[in-house]
Amino acid sequence: MNKFKSAFVAGLLVAASSLPSHAETKIEVLHHWVSESEVAALNVIRNALAEKGFGWQDSAVGGMSGANAQQALRTRLAAGNPPAAMQFLGYEGLDWASEGVLRNMNDMATANGWQKAIAPQVLPFVESNDGFFAVPINMHRQNWVWANKKVFDKVGIEQPQSWEDLIADGKKLKEAGIIPLAIGDEPWQIQVVFDSLVADIGGPEFYKKAMVDLDDDALSSDTMKHIFDTLREVRGLVDDGFNGRDWAVATGMVINGQAAMQVMGDWAKGEFLAKGLKPDTDFLCFATPSKTPSFLFLIDSFGMFYINDENVTKGQDALAQVIMDPKVQRDFNKIKGSIPARSDVSVDDFDACAQKGFKERTEAINDGAMLGAATHGFASQPQFAAVFGDVAARFFVTEMSSDEAVEMLVDGIDNAR
Amino acid sequence: MFRNTHLTDRLAKWLPRLVLTPSMVMVLVGVYLFMVWTGWISLSSSRMVPHYDFVGLEQYIRLWSTPRWHTAVINLFLFSFLFLAITVGTGLIIAILLDQNIRAEGALRAVYLYPMSLSFIVTGTAWKWILNPDLGIEKVVRSLGWESFVFDWITRPNFAIYTIVIAAVWQSSGFAMAIFLAGLRGIDNSVIKAAQIEGASLPKIYRSIIIPMLRPAFLSVIVLLSYIAIKNFDLVLAMTNGGPGSATEVPSTFMFSATFRRNQMGVGAASAIMMLMTVAAIIIPYLYSELKESRHAD
Repeated sequence: MNKFKSAFVAGLLVAASSLPSHAETKIEVLHHWVSESEVAALNVIRNALAEKGFGWQDSAVGGMSGANAQQALRTRLAAGNPPAAMQFLGYEGLDWASEGVLRNMNDMATANGWQKAIAPQVLPFVESNDGFFAVPINMHRQNWVWANKKVFDKVGIEQPQSWEDLIADGKKLKEAGIIPLAIGDEPWQIQVVFDSLVADIGGPEFYKKAMVDLDDDALSSDTMKHIFDTLREVRGLVDDGFNGRDWAVATGMVINGQAAMQVMGDWAKGEFLAKGLKPDTDFLCFATPSKTPSFLFLIDSFGMFYINDENVTKGQDALAQVIMDPKVQRDFNKIKGSIPARSDVSVDDFDACAQKGFKERTEAINDGAMLGAATHGFASQPQFAAVFGDVAARFFVTEMSSDEAVEMLVDGIDNAR
Repeated sequence: MFRNTHLTDRLAKWLPRLVLTPSMVMVLVGVYLFMVWTGWISLSSSRMVPHYDFVGLEQYIRLWSTPRWHTAVINLFLFSFLFLAITVGTGLIIAILLDQNIRAEGALRAVYLYPMSLSFIVTGTAWKWILNPDLGIEKVVRSLGWESFVFDWITRPNFAIYTIVIAAVWQSSGFAMAIFLAGLRGIDNSVIKAAQIEGASLPKIYRSIIIPMLRPAFLSVIVLLSYIAIKNFDLVLAMTNGGPGSATEVPSTFMFSATFRRNQMGVGAASAIMMLMTVAAIIIPYLYSELKESRHAD
């Protein structure tokens, strides 16, 4: 009887352990992509992962530009139950890697030549001294101007070559009863303009000094004051109803011709394309005007957490391979509206704006003008990046002088150190 | 027989404690333990995840040299004071007016109470549109012919906090009314009759007899409203998201952004402790005096 029982139990155990084949192993991915195009783009990864025999367990936590998902992650880590993979923006991945909770993917990176496929400016966000801790899927450019071509034609203006031009065009647009610049009052939306101004007016070297090195001299320089003065003039291009306006609502104002331009990352393109509008005929996309054009980038990457389960580890490896697969990057980014994080993927059949962005990225890499977007945490750690946002947003909505703004900036950065 | 009574006696003595124990333990762990934990974190160098080291008051110094925190503290006092004063005032007035044996009182009561059933997120979003100068009140009044009418407080950093007071008062006045109305109904009619026979006018009766008798109702309303005022987070988030330019920042939104968006968990914990201290400094003396008063009354 006893013998029979133990044999029975052993049989059960064998059956149970052989049951979860690869098809049953689900890889839980925590991310904050919840919009329609984002979900559609994720399906590309999901399907490619399924082909490798792993399931995708979706843990989407939307809202607050990823802050809610970050909060969820902290809770999960504190409970000792991290997800298999997590989407990171900016320094998040690096910070978690230094906490020692992310898997090292060096072997895979070396075997597949990932280091060479990624622009050197992007590497710090996926690789530290300890190795490769995340895989980048896409790249957005932040310093775009999106413009309504019909409005431009009607008022008789062309793509501005400098911020002075752009501000002068604003006057013409106002006379024609059109809001020159659509924006919301959320700090990050104002910061998107501010980042562009720093790179366009100060140039790439100044940008690095001020936003990356947080150099006090650069922060309090006359150049910085001039940047704030220009921001003040940009404020004059905006209507009064901008409080609480979502970026997509602002994009809608450009689409329906109520406003002429918006400074926004290339996720705004999705809104134009969704309305069936065509680049160059219905709307224009061009880099924020400057003599020293730059490419302010942000990437989304995925890091894999240590989980003591061999099947999950295999699944994580498969997921990393899938994300770095050139074909997946192509298909994903075509839907998402961004460009592949890999620099060696062809973008032939992408839309005109993406092709333009891809070409200008190559130039920027050569010119040393490929810079991390401060707004989304690719220039400095969040506690510093937020200070820039605070000051720019406060300056934008108050009557503060540029001297005061610079002082507030220097104090704020010092205080956050 | 003897043993039995003994047991019942013992049970009667221990039952209240037994029943209370689980909730006591839950409160101890869920509230007080986490208060202590937050206090500890505020003395550590925690940034992204908790680190259990000790850096002294560094995070508090950092907190108090952050201009956004100053804005948040000023806003908390401004908001709490105005919100409490206006809500108690309007709530009391509505309750007194409703108390005049008017027709359809039940329906009116429901109308006044209804805003309370909405979440602050809904209230905030609705008021965000109502106050938007390009969409709401300003536009409506202008389209009616008053071209120079201006009501753009929500876009002006110095006035935006008052728009939050407006929305919060709108939400909570009905609730204050309900409590005052219950208090008014609890007052013995014979006292009022006696005063009327003495020849006192109605306003005088209210001022010197009825309102002083509403003291317990005032206590409930003030305690509950101040708790709403201090935890105010969703309303600010929905209406202005702390803007324009961090002008409507309150301590709770500051704490959230420091902890979860800026990797400054230590500063966030320090701000939480400051909030706790503020609440304690206001509520404890008030509760103490009120409770002492009622013991005397007994």
